[in-house]
Amino acid sequence: MRAAERLKDVLGADKVITDPLIVNLYSREPSGLSSRAGAVVFPESSKDVSKIVSFAYKHNIKVFPQGSTTSLSGSSLPAEEGIVISFERMNRILSVSVVDSTVDVEAGVRLGDLNVELARYGYMFPIDPGSVAVATVGGAINGGSGGLRGARYGTMTNWVLGLKVVLPDESGTELRVGCRTTKCRQGYDLVRLIVGSEGTLALVTEATLKITPMPEAVVTALAFFPELEDLYAAYKEIKESRVQPLILEFMDEETARLAKEASAAPVEVEGHMLLAAVDCNREALDRVEAWLSELMRRHNAKRVYTAVKPEESEKLFTLRRSLFPAQVFFGNKRYPGKRLMVILEDIAVPPSRLLEAIKKIREVSEKHGLQVSIGGHVGDGNLHPSVAFPLDDEVMKSKAVAWHEEVAKIAVELGGTVSAEHGIGTLKKGLLEAELEKLGSRKALELMRGIKRVFDPKGILNPGKVV
Amino acid sequence: MKYAVSEARRCVLCGFCEPVCPTLYPGGHRGHGPRGRVQLILLLEGSSSRLVEEALYTCLLCGACTQVCPAKIDVAGAVREARAFLRSKLSS
Ligand SMILES: Cc1cc2nc3c(=O)[nH]c(=O)nc-3n(C[C@H](O)[C@H](O)[C@H](O)COP(=O)(O)OP(=O)(O)OC[C@H]3O[C@@H](n4cnc5c(N)ncnc54)[C@H](O)[C@@H]3O)c2cc1C
Ligand code: SF4
Ligand code: SF4
Repeated sequence: MRAAERLKDVLGADKVITDPLIVNLYSREPSGLSSRAGAVVFPESSKDVSKIVSFAYKHNIKVFPQGSTTSLSGSSLPAEEGIVISFERMNRILSVSVVDSTVDVEAGVRLGDLNVELARYGYMFPIDPGSVAVATVGGAINGGSGGLRGARYGTMTNWVLGLKVVLPDESGTELRVGCRTTKCRQGYDLVRLIVGSEGTLALVTEATLKITPMPEAVVTALAFFPELEDLYAAYKEIKESRVQPLILEFMDEETARLAKEASAAPVEVEGHMLLAAVDCNREALDRVEAWLSELMRRHNAKRVYTAVKPEESEKLFTLRRSLFPAQVFFGNKRYPGKRLMVILEDIAVPPSRLLEAIKKIREVSEKHGLQVSIGGHVGDGNLHPSVAFPLDDEVMKSKAVAWHEEVAKIAVELGGTVSAEHGIGTLKKGLLEAELEKLGSRKALELMRGIKRVFDPKGILNPGKVV
Repeated sequence: MKYAVSEARRCVLCGFCEPVCPTLYPGGHRGHGPRGRVQLILLLEGSSSRLVEEALYTCLLCGACTQVCPAKIDVAGAVREARAFLRSKLSS
């Protein structure tokens, strides 16, 4: 790519790679989607980002920001003629203030590394996608990510105070938006417009994030219910008990069995899985543990495991953390030697409609003859049903696509949404349109496209995503 | 390369291995981490380059990545076999 060669003069040769084999590493997502790009650039500062964008603007080159490329929606994939901007070298934690409850970070800091640093202060950043070890601040902000603790802490939307961004204009304008305070009325809320914008509006180079104390103590309970109705009754009772659990996770029986086989988790799977974590004072540990255990058993759980020590709790999480690898592991077993595509839904429904949603998804999967895994962050009504199939199997592909659309429809009909936390990317553009159509809000799409044009008049920033 | 390729094929690209890899950050790009190395191995029979060889020869074979990999991919073993393949290509 000739332009990339010229970019070496602007930025320094060590910050640009054009070797197609290395560029290829930045052109694939865990979903199985892949594409191509002309080069990867590695900015080390906001100034570098500004230079790249200004260069791209002048030469009409498309740019594709990336953190760790763990998006599951196609949002971080480049296109043939473009340049990937990888934020991996912008990985400094700039400052921590316990008094202000803030941390200032560069966009390439991984959430896992951030939490290691914050633990020194007894604090944490509470958004914990399943990919927390590897996901970057910039990727999580732009993905609008959530995670296991979503029911308690929400998504990135609730935890970003301020941003330093670079705009895709002629001079690569550097801009600070938002505040260092929780209360902030700075006109229209540009921070929250950029959060979840999937790299289509601005390049995030630094962020001021809110932080929160680590819980004093946590009780974890893992239970297996032969009947879905019983599991839901236990879930509902927890939700109605005036406690706000940190985590409520679900896997249906088939999925839990796959995860067990893939991970050798130290538990016996005997039905559908409900995993609950509730925080409390140290003095209340025994009471909360007994309460959770009794509640699960009263609702006919076959097996109940509880833990109060962090290392014991972590063991109870093994099964849940193996959800995605298990899905791929069994795809590989079923279709040996084939390249797989994994369609991972990301719907959310109001928690009161969860049981209906799960039952309907199982019906639709059966109708299409698909082996589907169902799991999710049910504390906030977020479900991740998924199906894996060989990329070259057109019959399976068309079944999976039909299934994908029907599952999304179920979510919207139950008052939910087609994407809770993974974003729209390229995979869910049609579903977003369908959701807005159903709400009678097609105009919202026009507004979104207008906003995109204001930020990115030449359409060079992560084009083809979201709208 | 049979073993290396069959290990590499199991990779789900989750990247969970990257934070523990001691060579990733000093290397300056993803090829210097386990996720990158296994992907490069899949391409190796088709083509190679100086950067690819550097990426494979800077692996410390420490096995830290395998400890945290959900698929328990033997990256060090795969890299060893890939190096042998590169050597045999050089000498032929
Ligand atoms: C096993 C597994 C489990 C997962 N679990 C969850 C989960 O529980 N919850 C959840 O929400 N997600 C989950 N994900 C999806 C994904 O990991 C998260 O959304 C994560 O936050 C993305 O981080 P990343 O650094 O990989 O971002 P990337 O994939 O690199 O990027 C995500 C988006 O942000 C943009 N972007 C990245 N950096 C910047 C920047 N500096 N400026 C502007 N735009 C930028 C990209 O263009 C892209 O649109 C999971 C993924 C995997 C593989
Ligand atoms: S074995 Fe190689 S790739 Fe794996 S962690 Fe060690 S240095 Fe990194
Ligand atoms: S952790 Fe394992 S499966 Fe995930 S990217 Fe690394 S090698 Fe691949």
